[in-house]
Amino acid sequence: MMTFPKKMDLHMHTTISDGSDSPEEILARVREAGIQLFSVTDHDAMKGCEIIRSVRTKEDPAFINGIEFSCKDEYGKYHILGYGYDPDSEAMRKVVEVGHGHRIRKVKARLEYLKETFGFHFTDEEIRELFKLDNPGKPHIGNLMVKHGYAGSIEEAIDGFINKKKFHGNENVRPEAAIEGILGGGGIPVLAHPVYGDGGQLILGDEMEDRIRRLMDFGLKGLECFYSGFTDKLRDQMLDSARRHGLYVTAGSDYHGTNKLVVLGDNGLDAVKEWPDGLVRFLKDVRIEE
Amino acid sequence: MAIKLSGRIDSNNAASVEQEIMEKLDSSNPSVVIDATDLAYISSAGLRVLLRIRKAYPHMEIHGVNSDVYEILDMTGFTEMMKVEKAYRVVSVEGCEEIGHGANGKIYRIDQDNVVKVYKNADALADIQHEREVAKLALILGIPTAISYDVVRVGESYGSVFEMLNARSFSKILETEPDKMDWCVGEYVELLKKIHGTLVPKGKLPDMKETVVSWAEFMQDHLPEEAGKKLLDMVKAVPQDDHMIHGDYHTKNVELQNDEILLIDMDTLAVGNPIFELGSIFNAFIGFSELDHNVIKEFQGYDYETAGTFWHKFLAAYLETDCETKIREVEDKARIIGYTRLIRRSIRRGGLETEEGRREIDFWKTRLLELLERTDKLTFNPMELELEAIPENLEEVQAFVDDRLEKTDCSPKAQMQIDVAVEEIFINIASYAYAPDKGKAVVRVEVSDDPVTVKITFVDHGIPYDPLAKEDPDVNLPADQRDAGGLGIFMTKKFMDDVNYTYMDGQNILTLMKNL
Repeated sequence: MMTFPKKMDLHMHTTISDGSDSPEEILARVREAGIQLFSVTDHDAMKGCEIIRSVRTKEDPAFINGIEFSCKDEYGKYHILGYGYDPDSEAMRKVVEVGHGHRIRKVKARLEYLKETFGFHFTDEEIRELFKLDNPGKPHIGNLMVKHGYAGSIEEAIDGFINKKKFHGNENVRPEAAIEGILGGGGIPVLAHPVYGDGGQLILGDEMEDRIRRLMDFGLKGLECFYSGFTDKLRDQMLDSARRHGLYVTAGSDYHGTNKLVVLGDNGLDAVKEWPDGLVRFLKDVRIEE
Repeated sequence: MAIKLSGRIDSNNAASVEQEIMEKLDSSNPSVVIDATDLAYISSAGLRVLLRIRKAYPHMEIHGVNSDVYEILDMTGFTEMMKVEKAYRVVSVEGCEEIGHGANGKIYRIDQDNVVKVYKNADALADIQHEREVAKLALILGIPTAISYDVVRVGESYGSVFEMLNARSFSKILETEPDKMDWCVGEYVELLKKIHGTLVPKGKLPDMKETVVSWAEFMQDHLPEEAGKKLLDMVKAVPQDDHMIHGDYHTKNVELQNDEILLIDMDTLAVGNPIFELGSIFNAFIGFSELDHNVIKEFQGYDYETAGTFWHKFLAAYLETDCETKIREVEDKARIIGYTRLIRRSIRRGGLETEEGRREIDFWKTRLLELLERTDKLTFNPMELELEAIPENLEEVQAFVDDRLEKTDCSPKAQMQIDVAVEEIFINIASYAYAPDKGKAVVRVEVSDDPVTVKITFVDHGIPYDPLAKEDPDVNLPADQRDAGGLGIFMTKKFMDDVNYTYMDGQNILTLMKNL
């Protein structure tokens, strides 16, 4: 096992999902930032990690295979991180496929909706390019709308038009499926930024506890207690929760390049004197590519 | 650098809001104030924007936060990471009943259960904060008071909101139910004694003595030199005291709420000798309206005569005596403080420049000079009586001693014996100590527990004379051959458990001790 890294960041996105840095660029930035252990966690995709593994050398920072599943069930939305899985495992391959399938169906439904409701048209070439992407989503559609002058900005496109399309029913991976897939691939499932749900909620107190217990029943193993968007109080609440439930602890920034103003490596881990037991155990138990 | 936020910040616009803010900010200016007065809602995405600004600008503050947003910021720990100031609810007092007014503002009833105290000072928020803190301190120390639970905006100023159910001030009670005066006096004194018996930790409240010293210093330019010096020396001689005083203890600041007595208007809370309090109480009942008797009616609702009666009954009850000499002694001291304050107040408000002002200043000054003439110190001891040593004052002395004995379980027989001894000693002093001139005597009563013992001390400055030196009379002689005076001293020695005489520092000091 490697010696403990001084600086780590286990949550970041590349162009494979909604980040602005390519996997190669992100590796260079991780190196520049002095980060000694990192993980790439694209939404519903393993391809970023595959590229990192192919370009990483022995001199580069240590790496953990990562992924972030966007999940939903009748209780709400979740982002579930998977760490240290075997990328060739059947279980992981299947759940990523299911996630990708949902994503493609949603993009198709959105394009249909924009065409029918607002009369927005895109060329066949543009649509083909869109589906060639590893992880097409709302920003990519928004980008096309701006290009055609249907909206002034990607935000206006998403807020004013794309989000008007509502989905009812099963268009996301369920959390138990994501957790099962990660476990089946030998990985560790961790709840991302727990307090914020899928990023847009604020879940505290008993509601948070219920959520953690429910996901633990499915096999959840850890909580992302160190997060760029957490105040000290939120961090401490999460650490307390992790301690009480005997869960692993992870630390991530949720860096998206220029798409969001998060600084790579910013996760508040440097503010604590002593690493919590849950983080130490995580580093012992997770599969790290050195 | 001030940044104004408005409307909602949620995942749809968080990124653009952040971009906008970051563009406006200037890293060379580390102070950032977010004005959230018009911010209706903030989602988790908005919180993360605030957090990122906070990371870049650690001194960032947020002002004018509404209660919904404040709750979110509080729950998520933002209030611990940055200064967050709440927005104030706006309250109108138009058409509301004014139920009181004091030095710092007016009090209105805004609905059945609540009153608001509107501050008139420019830095009302600091005053409100101060009053809240001292009220909390008083409550912790056991003084029943109301703590404001909200700060609101009232017009251009601010107000403090208190819950006040079915409350009536003592002023209102005295105005509408004059037959309740004795009850009011009793409760009013009991609460004041509680206040004056409360020891305040050092440094928590201002020292009233410093304030009164500054008044006396101010007076140096407005009094004849000797009188001015005497006033200042007397104030300075008052010993430091860490017991609480209210500072504005008039009947509008004592409320009856559901059978409970409640003290309000706590911003003048201080520590100091009770005489400073009595000075301000004198002004409330008499001083302010001594020249124009209508003033009291306007301020308290009851008339000048009622105020005078209340003041006198109050002093008697506070000093636990019906002895007029004792009451007058303490009243004189209170008046010195009271007039000093009134004169200074009038002069500082330009009183010397107007006919009316000069008239009131002269009125108070005349009285103050008279009082200074006949007073040597401002402190008083409720257990000590100073009066002219003349036989006519015996009744006063006995009334005073009896009042003190009332608090003990003194038997009628012991009381009769003490009366006989007191009569013998006082008449002795009155007859011989200063003859043929007149002089003063001091009678001090001390009661100690376990065993219950009463000690009565007589002090005079007359010629040295030891009444005990005289041989005991022969009580076996026929009545017509006995010396009457000698018999009195004999009875005193017989009735008391100990009688002692010393001459010290030009004073005859005689003590009587009796085990009860």
